[in-house]
Amino acid sequence: MGHSQNREYVQREYDAIERDGEELISTHCCFCGMQCGMNIRVKTDSKEVLGVEPRYDFPMNGGRLCPKGVAAYRQAEHGERLLHPLIRKNGKLVESTWDEAMELIVSKIKGIQAEYGKDAIGIYSGSSMTNEKCYLMGKFARIGLGTKNIDYNGRYCMSSASFGFNQSVGIDRGSTNPWSDIKSADVLLLAGSNTAECHPLSMPYIWGARDNGAKIIVVDPRQTKTALVADIHLDIRPGTDVALANGLLHVMIEDDLVDHDFIENHTTGFEKLKELVKKYTPAHVSEITGVAPEKIVSAGRMFGQAKNGMAMFARGVEQHATGTDAVSTYVNLCLVTGKIGRKGSGFATFTGQGNGQGGREHGQKTDQLPGFRKITDPKAREYIASVWGVDESEIPGPGLSAYELLQALGKEIKCLILACSNPIVSSPSIAHVGEYLKSLDFFVAIDMFLSESAELADVVLPSTVWVEDDGTTTNVEGRVLRLKGIDRTPGESRRDWEIICDLAERLGRGKYFKYDSPEEIFNELRVASKGGIADYYGITYEKLDKMQGVFWPCPTEESEGMPRLFEDLKFNFPDGKARILAFEHKGPNENISKEYPIILSTGRVVYHYLSGNQTRRIESLLNFCPDPYVEIHPKLAVKHNIGDGELVKISSARGSMEVVAKITKIIREDMVFVPYHWGKSLAINNLTNPALDPNSKIPEFKVCAVKIEKAESMGVKHG
Amino acid sequence: MGKVLYIDYERCIGCRACIVGCEECSGHDHMSRMFVDELNPGETVATSPTPCMHCVTPACAESCPVQAISITADGFVLSASMEKCIGCKNCTYACPFGIPRVDDVKKMMYKCDMCYDRTSKGTPPMCASVCPTDTIQFLDEQELKNHSPKEVQYQWDFGGTTIETKTVIGLPDTRSNNFGYYDGEGVQS
Repeated sequence: MGHSQNREYVQREYDAIERDGEELISTHCCFCGMQCGMNIRVKTDSKEVLGVEPRYDFPMNGGRLCPKGVAAYRQAEHGERLLHPLIRKNGKLVESTWDEAMELIVSKIKGIQAEYGKDAIGIYSGSSMTNEKCYLMGKFARIGLGTKNIDYNGRYCMSSASFGFNQSVGIDRGSTNPWSDIKSADVLLLAGSNTAECHPLSMPYIWGARDNGAKIIVVDPRQTKTALVADIHLDIRPGTDVALANGLLHVMIEDDLVDHDFIENHTTGFEKLKELVKKYTPAHVSEITGVAPEKIVSAGRMFGQAKNGMAMFARGVEQHATGTDAVSTYVNLCLVTGKIGRKGSGFATFTGQGNGQGGREHGQKTDQLPGFRKITDPKAREYIASVWGVDESEIPGPGLSAYELLQALGKEIKCLILACSNPIVSSPSIAHVGEYLKSLDFFVAIDMFLSESAELADVVLPSTVWVEDDGTTTNVEGRVLRLKGIDRTPGESRRDWEIICDLAERLGRGKYFKYDSPEEIFNELRVASKGGIADYYGITYEKLDKMQGVFWPCPTEESEGMPRLFEDLKFNFPDGKARILAFEHKGPNENISKEYPIILSTGRVVYHYLSGNQTRRIESLLNFCPDPYVEIHPKLAVKHNIGDGELVKISSARGSMEVVAKITKIIREDMVFVPYHWGKSLAINNLTNPALDPNSKIPEFKVCAVKIEKAESMGVKHG
Repeated sequence: MGKVLYIDYERCIGCRACIVGCEECSGHDHMSRMFVDELNPGETVATSPTPCMHCVTPACAESCPVQAISITADGFVLSASMEKCIGCKNCTYACPFGIPRVDDVKKMMYKCDMCYDRTSKGTPPMCASVCPTDTIQFLDEQELKNHSPKEVQYQWDFGGTTIETKTVIGLPDTRSNNFGYYDGEGVQS
């Protein structure tokens, strides 16, 4: 079945069904980091998108799709698509021409730059974009606009994993292993990941491991579907992962289940960790985490005794003010037991956004240049300047991270260009974000639908949906994939990369943005990444097609990429050793109080993606889950006299909302949970805490202190 | 031997991709013929898909006054023929699993027909094709019934009447977990 790297995946040997008058376009889903392969059914003559057909031979998913994946194509012909540029006139967004819209943008940018300097223009972009677009955004900010202030919504998603991996092993690829390795693990520790709902297409691998006899440990405050079938469910109090992981390390060290040879030869820092975790006894950890001591002991032994095993985690671990500490503490589980560098052993973070991996590699992070280079590194700056054909001094330094950038709107930043993101739904404390956006002198949004954020813009530019664009993304494994688009641009919509290049031309910087296709952008990206940590130089479109995706690093044209990292047990530091780092449990930024006695945690449901700008418009997905709800344990519900289906008012120090109660035993008694995919009065991010991890600058979405009470008024229902 | 649907309850994550996928089959008019049930709402998140069970002796077909429901050579029970169906709902009342639905506007019965356009070509039905967790699989019938790695059920007792189905259910291993039958006090605080 194709290239040897794909043999152990879950692909299937069936033919896709073809129909008269139609053609199948082989592409990938626009949603989460699994980047499942799919065929889009297109009417040959009119290019109308008709439906979806499984792509059985794509290794990652073998034709399988979650409900979002099946329904994704329905965006293409959706009646709410933006088909013309819009300009705000007399307070209302009205149709305009491209020329009028672009000239207005250019004159505003020039005026603001003249008055306030180049850094007064900010870009807030997304990680669901192709690698080509992410690369282009970073270059456009630095060379097109000359601003240091670009950051992206991946800051809310993957940044703690990125920082944690870098500080522990010196490289940030979301998974050390190809996904096919999961089936070979003897134990899987899944922490802070509602895998079944957020990454359903990982389940054939997890259930596959279970079929082979693997034990499954799930760390989650809720008894999710994954936890329901786990061998041990550690029902952790939100925000206490560092303590729990230290407790597991305590058990493993106490029972001498560590790999002394590996620690001695390939790591530093073990003695400090050993000293620190002495006090994290099961009883002490139980007090902090709420998990029974015997379960901590069992889980520590289960992980330690297994020959091969993987620690896998997601936002439940990362979206905290101590998220980077937690990531490295979980990585420690693999390092002290030597579970790394071979089949079925390693660690991974489940990528939330479609291109969460590639989106953070090629320079749209404010502190990075392409290839995962630091923007403060003189050699990196010099190299990228040579690729771009500019003087090194023209590349600005690091600017503000995502939430800091939003806080600076109307102050240092007077104009914002927003692409592929909806921060007024996805940011913490969004009442403030709305105020920041409204205080801008000028606000441009590029989107395919009029999102809650785009509604506030002065100019809205209509872009294409994913099936209308070519390019690449990098999936949860670090596999670069090829997206193939349909050759059409409905109405007057234009592809994002063409919009950016046109804007650069009109700003007088066109000579740096002469591209005729995404492949040309990719070829420049390859060169820009050459020699960097995320080295794509050896990856070509041709190779991507031939191999069904190529894993980075792929430094030469002869190379076929590296599906599994660290097989030589050399880590990406000068001494080649991984760093075992010791962190104390600090707890959440905000503690419960007499006034706000309950912990609120937020997350996803399987039917919606990020801010819901795309999935809330797809009827079948909306019907499955039309509104947010609050999960409450029956005992907590009784205390507050709340019945199933009744309206509940939830309040934090930052805001409140009314939402329907879902009484369920799957959740801890001391917390509530609300999904975050809705905007305006239905947005739980009215309440969440904008406290940031000092390293990754990720907000603490997973814990804040709230109170609940039975609501008296009728809530606002989704329209 | 022929292939049949195999449903492994333990793997279902309740995502309803099978429902959305069913709408994608040609001839289904974007109307899903699949159902997903919550096994014990409020207690657990356990769910199970419920397709047509494709009975060996289908009560729906036997009760049809106009003989609109045919059975293929490989034993799949099809939706009622458009030309013959009178929308009387006899099939709905007769089915012990409550599967056939009637579109009241079109006066037409509709139910899972095992994506006959696909399965007749050896390709799995849409529900089994898209199911992200392999809860629904299209597998060899005899192998499943004789050599399944876990306990299966394909015979059902309805008040003394035994009904055999081609759809085979893989039963949860309740010795290792309380899947779907959870009666505890929930997670600890």
